[in-house]
Amino acid sequence: MSEAPLELVCPAGTPAALRAAVEAGADAVYVGFRDETNARNYPGLNFSRPELGQGVGYAHELGRKVYVAVNTFPAAGNPGPWRRAVDDAAGLGADAIIIADIGLLDYARRRHPEARRHLSVQASASNAEAIRFYHEAFGVKRVVLPRVLTVGEIAELNAKIPVETEVFAFGGMCVMAEGRCALSSYATGRSPNLDGVCSPASHVRYERRGAKLISRLGDFTVNVFRDDEARSYPTLCKGRFVAGGRASYLFEEPTSLNAIAMLPDLMAAGVRALKIEGRQRGRAYVAQVVGAFRRAIDAAARGEPAPASDLGAVTEGHRDTEGAYAGSWR
Amino acid sequence: MSETPRQAPPLPPPLSPVLLAGFALRPVPPALLGPFLKLALSAVSRRHPDVMARLETLGDAEFLIDPVDLPFSFLLRPGAPSPVLEPVGGDGEGIGRPTAIIRAPLLALIDLLEGRLDGDALFFSRDLTIEGDTEAVLTLRNALDSGEIDLIEDLLSPLGPLDRPARWALTAFGAVFTRAARDLETLRDAFVAPVARRSGAQAAEIRELDERLTALHRRVRQVRQVHGARAPGGGVAKAHAGKG
Amino acid sequence: MTAQSSPSAKLTLGPILFNWPAETWRDFYFRIADEAPVDIVYLGEVVCSKRAPFFEPYLPEVAERLHGAGKEVVWSTLALIVSEREMDAVRALAAAPDILVEANDISCVALLAGRPHVVGPFVNVYNEATMTCLVERGAARVVLSNELSARALAALAKAAGAELEVQVFGRLPLAISVRCYHARAHNLHKDGCQYVCADDPDGMALETLDGEAFLAVNGTQTMSYTCCNLVLELDRLLKMGIGCFRLWPHSTDMVAVTRIFRGVLDGRDDAAAAWARLARLANVAPFANGFYHGQEGAKLVGAQP
Repeated sequence: MSEAPLELVCPAGTPAALRAAVEAGADAVYVGFRDETNARNYPGLNFSRPELGQGVGYAHELGRKVYVAVNTFPAAGNPGPWRRAVDDAAGLGADAIIIADIGLLDYARRRHPEARRHLSVQASASNAEAIRFYHEAFGVKRVVLPRVLTVGEIAELNAKIPVETEVFAFGGMCVMAEGRCALSSYATGRSPNLDGVCSPASHVRYERRGAKLISRLGDFTVNVFRDDEARSYPTLCKGRFVAGGRASYLFEEPTSLNAIAMLPDLMAAGVRALKIEGRQRGRAYVAQVVGAFRRAIDAAARGEPAPASDLGAVTEGHRDTEGAYAGSWR
Repeated sequence: MSETPRQAPPLPPPLSPVLLAGFALRPVPPALLGPFLKLALSAVSRRHPDVMARLETLGDAEFLIDPVDLPFSFLLRPGAPSPVLEPVGGDGEGIGRPTAIIRAPLLALIDLLEGRLDGDALFFSRDLTIEGDTEAVLTLRNALDSGEIDLIEDLLSPLGPLDRPARWALTAFGAVFTRAARDLETLRDAFVAPVARRSGAQAAEIRELDERLTALHRRVRQVRQVHGARAPGGGVAKAHAGKG
Repeated sequence: MTAQSSPSAKLTLGPILFNWPAETWRDFYFRIADEAPVDIVYLGEVVCSKRAPFFEPYLPEVAERLHGAGKEVVWSTLALIVSEREMDAVRALAAAPDILVEANDISCVALLAGRPHVVGPFVNVYNEATMTCLVERGAARVVLSNELSARALAALAKAAGAELEVQVFGRLPLAISVRCYHARAHNLHKDGCQYVCADDPDGMALETLDGEAFLAVNGTQTMSYTCCNLVLELDRLLKMGIGCFRLWPHSTDMVAVTRIFRGVLDGRDDAAAAWARLARLANVAPFANGFYHGQEGAKLVGAQP
């Protein structure tokens, strides 16, 4: 079981969000470069090399860490951008590089043995054998667990593996095993795994139809909202579809993961770090969510219940879920 | 000090400050806003080159920004070598087909611009609607969010346009705005209070408006304190003292 | 248009992804063994561990029949392994002597290190470096992801140190989850699912609210609504050095489907004529080939006969 307090790992899509995260109490901030080498490759987002250098300097001055996600899968015939991303993350003093691809892990291990390597959630390492493989073959020090496990399974896993685990605690949530989902690619031709975009804005359209708002991704209608309904991202797994003549949110309702009430359980399960999703969100979101989790972690460390927090407004569909953690997915 | 306790009767719900602002501004032709908007945009672009760099990919994309509670809209071309922001009448009919249209209440738009509100949250709650090129909107949103834009600070900074009062005073809107910017801490006030005051009509309504603004200031400051954002400078407190 | 003759090209039949009644499952393979011109047959449950107990009693005789018919038999493992019970099943397969195993999760790849094995399509192999790492650990064949474009496939083929297999027919597996969407569609929990996935031998079609046919649900797996068909692309795949071509089993006449592909691979049949015959025969869903052409997987690109 972990004795050290939980590390709070927070998203930043821009230098402003990085500062907001640090000010709100992040122990570590994770970021990506402004290209397809990371899984939040959205327009206007992410860090240039100089911005990363300044961000690392700023965070280190305040005793915080910066992790760089290079967590898409390098394209066949074009490994250059991904290798340069690893080289530059290491060279600019990142505290860890978050990688999913086996070949890229191998490159990082050979070229930058001193750089700490975390296994991205995109690698979908859901069991002890998989995690041991990444540890033994590539010296991975921490694994970000896929959002498919119950807290009980996480505890069992932690007892069996020689590396730290990091789990998602808040934010957008894949209901499919991460890194193994081509739904968006099927509808748009741009792949989350290769291009770093799920439901790319270039393929999203909103249309008014009378009093209704239609969201479309590529050639497909993802949802039709009545005027009084909270809206959601046009991600396919939160879309409304018809099966057997019945329309429903078949994969998942528009919702955000929120495990704030489960912090004591996650700590008892031996988790080392909590991750907040949302590099694509604004710095207002970062400040609000990170602040709430900072207070909750500090309270949990003192054995106190989590202080009340109202994160309802920043959740998708204005509701949240404990996802797979509580076992309700089985 | 703004904490001067003045009990104001609550505004009837439909008379939100912005609605009143729209009402009060109606006699002001949108063209009068032009010089002010131009200065605001040049201040932001000078102070935030990083934002402009993120906007480069937008090329000649054109956004119609429609504050749904104002009687006019803005046309924004943020890419280009020299970005453009200009007022257009009504909700922008007749300006051709913009790349995208963004509609939200003015206060929400300003909060969004200054990073106090999360755009996605605004979208989830239906307060923000977008039409047209979603990617362009996302680019704009992400770029602006990266900038730590603070309209008043940007305007008053050593690089800002209000640093050169002479030039500023030459504009029709300038004198009013200079005083407004000194007195008030946010752009919403610049729109609302001075114009309303100058109109000289409906004194009671204006007093109500002032009360409401004071409450707003308090709320903004509280939000900023909670979020640990940079506190607006000491000038703010003075401004309110002078205003009472 | 006749494909370059390549009798050495191997035609493979992927594991049945759907929940078919055990007898149907057995009889399907008996017929494949007796009549289908495929070289390799993959057996086993990839999608949901709850299904395996039903057909497992028939596995030995099916494997024997296929083996007796000269087919290479490969044992496929689960794509998403979460529980200890699931891991135990994979451990048992990985430890069994004299069988070839298809690893569909990296844990299984790890267990098979040092002995020849197949890396299945549910392990992410997107580039040469990853492929090389896996080949060094014993991968003799790699089944490539279905979202790879022709350009990526060609780059991989150029660097290949193992046989490469590409999916050329059937609904495409697109995602896997611990949640069961068949159960959800029937308002059931996964643990009490009543095996409702058995109602849909080719998956349950999903439409959008505007009536566009979009996806297909197969228990915890989500698939394309369209049926991948790369019969017109076989020629280029052969030329770039792909050696194995996977057909995913469907309820349609799969013996006929295998014969059509075999005919084209052997250079006996015209690809355009083969396309037309497939269109008449395989009525699962409209065809698509977008991923191969670097576009939306749902698209059908290029001129069809």
